[in-house]
Amino acid sequence: MASLLWLQTGACSGDTMSLLCADSPSIESMIRRGLLDILWHPSLSATPPGGLAALIGRIEAGEQGLDILCIEGSLITGPFGTGMFDSYRGGAKIDIVKALAPHARYVVAVGSCSAFGGIPAAPPNPTDSIGLQFERERPGGLLGPDWRSRAGLPVINLAGCPTHPTTITRSLALIADDQPLELDALNRPRAFYGSTVHQGCTRNEYHEYDLEETQFGGRGCLFFNLGCQGPNTLANCNSELWNRRSSKPRAGVPCFGCTSPDFPRDGDLFRTEKLGAVPLKLPLGVSRAQYMAYKNLAHAAAPQRVKDRDMEP
Amino acid sequence: MARTTLDIDLNRVEGDLEFQVDLDGNRVVDARCVGTLFRGFEQLLIGRAPKDGLVITPRVCGICGTAHLYTAALALERLAGLPVTPHATLVRNLCLMAENVQSDLRQSFLFFTPDFVHPRYAGQPLFADIEAAFAPLKGSVVRSALSASRKVVELVAIFGGQWPHSSYMLPGGITRGATARDLIDCQDIVDQVIEIYERDIIGDSLDNWLALDGSDAFFDWLDAAPHAASAVGLLTRFARAIGLQHIGAGARHFLSAGSWHDPLRWQPPYTDAPTLLAGGIYHADGGRLDPFAPEHINEHVRHSWYRPYPGGRHPFQGETVPDYQPDTDRYTWAKAPRYGDQVVETGPLADLLTGGDELIRSLQAREGPNAWLRQFARLRRTGLTLHFMKAHLAELGRQLGTPHFLPPPADAFEHGEGYGFVQAARGTLGHWLQVTDGRISRYQIVTPTSWNASPRDSAGRHGHWEQSVIGLELADPADPVEIGHIVRSHDPCLVCTVHFVQRGERRRYGV
Repeated sequence: MASLLWLQTGACSGDTMSLLCADSPSIESMIRRGLLDILWHPSLSATPPGGLAALIGRIEAGEQGLDILCIEGSLITGPFGTGMFDSYRGGAKIDIVKALAPHARYVVAVGSCSAFGGIPAAPPNPTDSIGLQFERERPGGLLGPDWRSRAGLPVINLAGCPTHPTTITRSLALIADDQPLELDALNRPRAFYGSTVHQGCTRNEYHEYDLEETQFGGRGCLFFNLGCQGPNTLANCNSELWNRRSSKPRAGVPCFGCTSPDFPRDGDLFRTEKLGAVPLKLPLGVSRAQYMAYKNLAHAAAPQRVKDRDMEP
Repeated sequence: MARTTLDIDLNRVEGDLEFQVDLDGNRVVDARCVGTLFRGFEQLLIGRAPKDGLVITPRVCGICGTAHLYTAALALERLAGLPVTPHATLVRNLCLMAENVQSDLRQSFLFFTPDFVHPRYAGQPLFADIEAAFAPLKGSVVRSALSASRKVVELVAIFGGQWPHSSYMLPGGITRGATARDLIDCQDIVDQVIEIYERDIIGDSLDNWLALDGSDAFFDWLDAAPHAASAVGLLTRFARAIGLQHIGAGARHFLSAGSWHDPLRWQPPYTDAPTLLAGGIYHADGGRLDPFAPEHINEHVRHSWYRPYPGGRHPFQGETVPDYQPDTDRYTWAKAPRYGDQVVETGPLADLLTGGDELIRSLQAREGPNAWLRQFARLRRTGLTLHFMKAHLAELGRQLGTPHFLPPPADAFEHGEGYGFVQAARGTLGHWLQVTDGRISRYQIVTPTSWNASPRDSAGRHGHWEQSVIGLELADPADPVEIGHIVRSHDPCLVCTVHFVQRGERRRYGV
């Protein structure tokens, strides 16, 4: 049974809410089956006031082991490096994180805030927020780029705003079972960040034939004009549906690229930045000249049923 | 007796809350409610495109992002005078209702009832039943509430793609209209949740439950076996056995902007606000209801860590510059919103008092506001919400195929100001924004918990939670479980204390 401590730093609780949406496995089933022992979770523990402080003391003294430390929320270092924009019992939360991290076998960043800084770290970053081992795209963060947990791994970044529900519970199940986790260059487990959001999007046929919407509310593709980041964002949103039902692009909402370190990007979020008539950021790994040639051909080949927007996404 | 100060950190709230209480013996003689988190949300929006608020503001709060999204869309629609179709308002309302049902169930059985499984209560006659129903993450009611909360947000995912945190409500409507397939899926989701609610939460039919219209009828109902053993029955009997009907009155004035815009009547110029449940200011003493007037809202910073200004300011004139001053008489990152000069409470109890729920008004008249009634009102509202969801789905069936999105003109958001309100799970949520040259120049958010968790204001008036614990007698100051009951009965959401407003430029790159 793996012991787990979940700490919220500069958080909105969205990842906790996402955790509670996971049904297979669910957090309560993992507890019931003896896979996880939750030492502390801000929303779930029934410990009386002061219980967290006492637990932190026991972990630091080596009296209580800690297998998994989950951090949800940006690491807030302001004002003036004190961290006091986010405090617990008169001390900065970032100091608690720094004190606990060396004791944990695994440290997991749940959500893009603790992975990369997230929304609070968007310009002008008024609270000096950073991630655990990244500051947006730049390696570093609160613990530094070379930091490794007791199990020898960097912080495992379960990026997303919020993280997909079962990406959280399945990652915790793998870690609790000491299964090997292959990480990508941003330390996200490849098992859950190995496809683009574009894969599995039900608007793909519109993209394929270059039928791009200029207004919201329609059935076509959102990539060329309406800000969708699906073709260059790694996440399982369209291959494993949210809440068992859908995904943002399927529902006509652009992918905002929330598993990427530059989320939220600095441009208008509902508009695609372009070079001429073509998006500045092309689908992952595609060359511009070839893409334009392909798009022109595809547009000419579009069947009438797709041109007429007859196909329900 | 010696005066002592107790520092209490409370979890099972959304976000971080610390309470500092001064005790004379075991009696609370003063209280300071401390919001310990500042994320600078409103400043992140300055200089961005107006619609970016639809992505950024839902991330203020993971549990009520739909409410933020809805409010942000309303503010932009008011700014530009845009019409909205009944189809769009029906879907928006349904998603907000689903989120509120989710939140009410999780708050009740993940955050509130775990305090009942406290060693202090082991001698209570109902304790074994309480443990079986409410043990954290293991009790029968907890598990069924979790599965219902998971089910109901599937409705949001049908229209928004995911819950939490999506951006499917845009000024002018929604990104995806309902299809016949969606309608059947939504009806099935709502029916499944109603089944769980009837079986495990109330032990009765929704119709019977909503027909209860007075305190006598309710206490008779409570005596019948299936009702007594239901979650509401157990919660009520246990809460009353430990005296929660006698504590936690607080401000005694209640604020609601009105629940759910009437889909068929919500149209520009938005000067009146037709809602399905009436809003207003309800006064506990005498039961008077005054109309809600948004211009009376103002915020004070006298006891908050922000650059001082005298008195209170309306959000359109507000300024907030962080100014951390430990070891002074300022003690929180929360501001103090006031309605005129009044300290008010917001939340489900307010919704049902202003909205005219006869059972809740009758219980309030009988015992006054209290911690049990506040929690009870939340579960009562869940039933009412499910009832309205059924009616909305019936109307949505009649609107299939009608427009769901009316594209705004290209220059709709160049200049101007707008605001919007919805009743989120925890009460009245307001957004105010000003746009200059196509960019956000000011964004102000007043959340439900800002009202409830407010510190003292310029006139020294305590905030609502502070008032609700002052005078309380603690059985054991080392473990002040009573304060947990009172504060958690409000469904606190401290992640929502988001304040930061500043006029001015910020450097931006890219588009």
